[in-house]
Amino acid sequence: MRPPPLVAHGLGKRFRREWALRDLTLTVPPGAVVGLAGSNAAGKSTLLALAAGVLAPSEGSIAVLGRDPLESPEVLGEIGYVAQGAPLYRSFRVAETIEYARRTNARWDGEIATELLTRIDSRAKVGALSAGERARLALALALGKRPRLVLLDEPFASLDPLAARELLQLLMDGVAELAATVVVASHVVADIQRVCDHIVLLSGGCVRLEGDVEELLESHRLLTGPRRPLGEIRGVREVVRERYSGRQLTLLVVTDGPIVDPSWTVHPVSLEELLLAYMAPERLPNVRPMERVQLRWHG
Amino acid sequence: MAWVTWRQHRSQAFAAFGLLAALAVTALVTHLPIASAFDHDSLSGCLPPATRTGCDIIVPHFESQFGGLVTATRILALLPLLAGLFVGAPLIARELEFGTYRFAWTQGVSRRRWLLSKTLLLAAATVVAAGAASLVLMWWRSPFDSLEGRMGPGGFDIEGIVVPAYALFALALGVLAGLVFRRTVAAMTATLLAFGATRFLVSDFVRPHFMAPLHRVISATATSGMPGDWVLSNTLVDAGGRRITAANEELAVVHAQQAGIDPHTYILTLGWRRIVSYQPAGRFWTFQLLEGGLYVGLALVLVALWLVRRTPA
Repeated sequence: MRPPPLVAHGLGKRFRREWALRDLTLTVPPGAVVGLAGSNAAGKSTLLALAAGVLAPSEGSIAVLGRDPLESPEVLGEIGYVAQGAPLYRSFRVAETIEYARRTNARWDGEIATELLTRIDSRAKVGALSAGERARLALALALGKRPRLVLLDEPFASLDPLAARELLQLLMDGVAELAATVVVASHVVADIQRVCDHIVLLSGGCVRLEGDVEELLESHRLLTGPRRPLGEIRGVREVVRERYSGRQLTLLVVTDGPIVDPSWTVHPVSLEELLLAYMAPERLPNVRPMERVQLRWHG
Repeated sequence: MAWVTWRQHRSQAFAAFGLLAALAVTALVTHLPIASAFDHDSLSGCLPPATRTGCDIIVPHFESQFGGLVTATRILALLPLLAGLFVGAPLIARELEFGTYRFAWTQGVSRRRWLLSKTLLLAAATVVAAGAASLVLMWWRSPFDSLEGRMGPGGFDIEGIVVPAYALFALALGVLAGLVFRRTVAAMTATLLAFGATRFLVSDFVRPHFMAPLHRVISATATSGMPGDWVLSNTLVDAGGRRITAANEELAVVHAQQAGIDPHTYILTLGWRRIVSYQPAGRFWTFQLLEGGLYVGLALVLVALWLVRRTPA
């Protein structure tokens, strides 16, 4: 059996005194399209840079395709990594950039790259490309390696929604062809929502939420009802977020069974709501509903 | 990696080529009057063993006529530094500054191989360019070398195999500085300072002791002696061999003048002599090998330092 595409164990990265990642343990299932979500400075870029061997861990370990990217850098030939801002040599022409990738990658497939670059003048300087064209070129370079793992760091950050959607389509087509595992970091929930079947949400350098999108949506519910002190609700394992508007109380909960209490109206939750709820900084970790009542009710 | 190296460093290659061409043309043009003066005055006859008379007038005249040019060539001792400043220092610092290392070091070529193959190719190009500059300068200086030798820093520093060795050292220094300081300008500054300091320390404090200097005792009023030797010290001593300070020498001269005696004659009557400590002209290639080896060794130490240093993270 092939090793999982990405495994982190107790992974931590410190920049001077600040921990960007701390004690992160994670396994990415093969073939998944993973959305790496989190607010700015949650540690998304750090995690991808560690996976691509650009950074060295301060503690713990990370393995990509079963190998340590620093100890066995040859594994990088099977990883398509696009760093934030798609850094490329600005003085190179597009064709020269492709040539660079061809000469430094044994697995290079020019056809995949060419397909993605049909509308870009190969004689243009990289520095003169628009943000969309540059992102496309970076994606072409990553997919041209016929990677088994694709790591994209905010690939849509500087793109307009139309260009972002187009790039996303190219990405999904390419990945489907290669049967690769993908990890896309983005703080824009809409990007992730459209393509990901798996979510890893980072907050403050730790994994806050992880799982299959379907399962997560299945296990979370929105409850609305009149404002009241919170007691035990049957079928609710954990309250993720409570929100008050006038006399109305809205809860985002993790369920462990059907909710039968008629005083609550039960709605399904959208992925966007779910991610935003878990990203919210006021959430206290691992507080049970009853304790939470005492903590919050007088405030 | 050869293509990658060429593509990324071709502008530096063109600049180096242009610089060499300019140097060759300048050398050619300035050499014409020197060669014609050398022939016209039949200076070859003044080479030891001197076969003609009047050399004590013609040679100094020739030297003073072109002294300005010879002095100007001393600035060319800085040429090897260019390899460190414009090739070595930006090699890694630029990648780090522009973030392109995140592209370059995540391809199928490991960053160690990337660094080593780039450095090896650039080192080869540097040796070729510095060697060519050295050959041009050796040819240009040949009239002066035959008259006054090349053991002194004016000739030694810009001739022979030390020029490529300095360039290799500067290159390795630049790469290490880029790795440590991560900013091109900071790396260039560090390279400049470290190169200058090393060159100064070696040429003033190490080179004179590569081999034990020879000594020669000459008359107190004679000039230092054999042309071509590198005179390290020229000390006035009394009959008992004790060193005479400049103040004492001055006193003696004043004393002689007050007494109405010729100071030279007076000093000779005192039994004073000069002891000249020197490195003979014949040791030129030995010294070149020793100093060249020293700098190549230093460059290898610097390379070992970058390999040991953890990858920038």
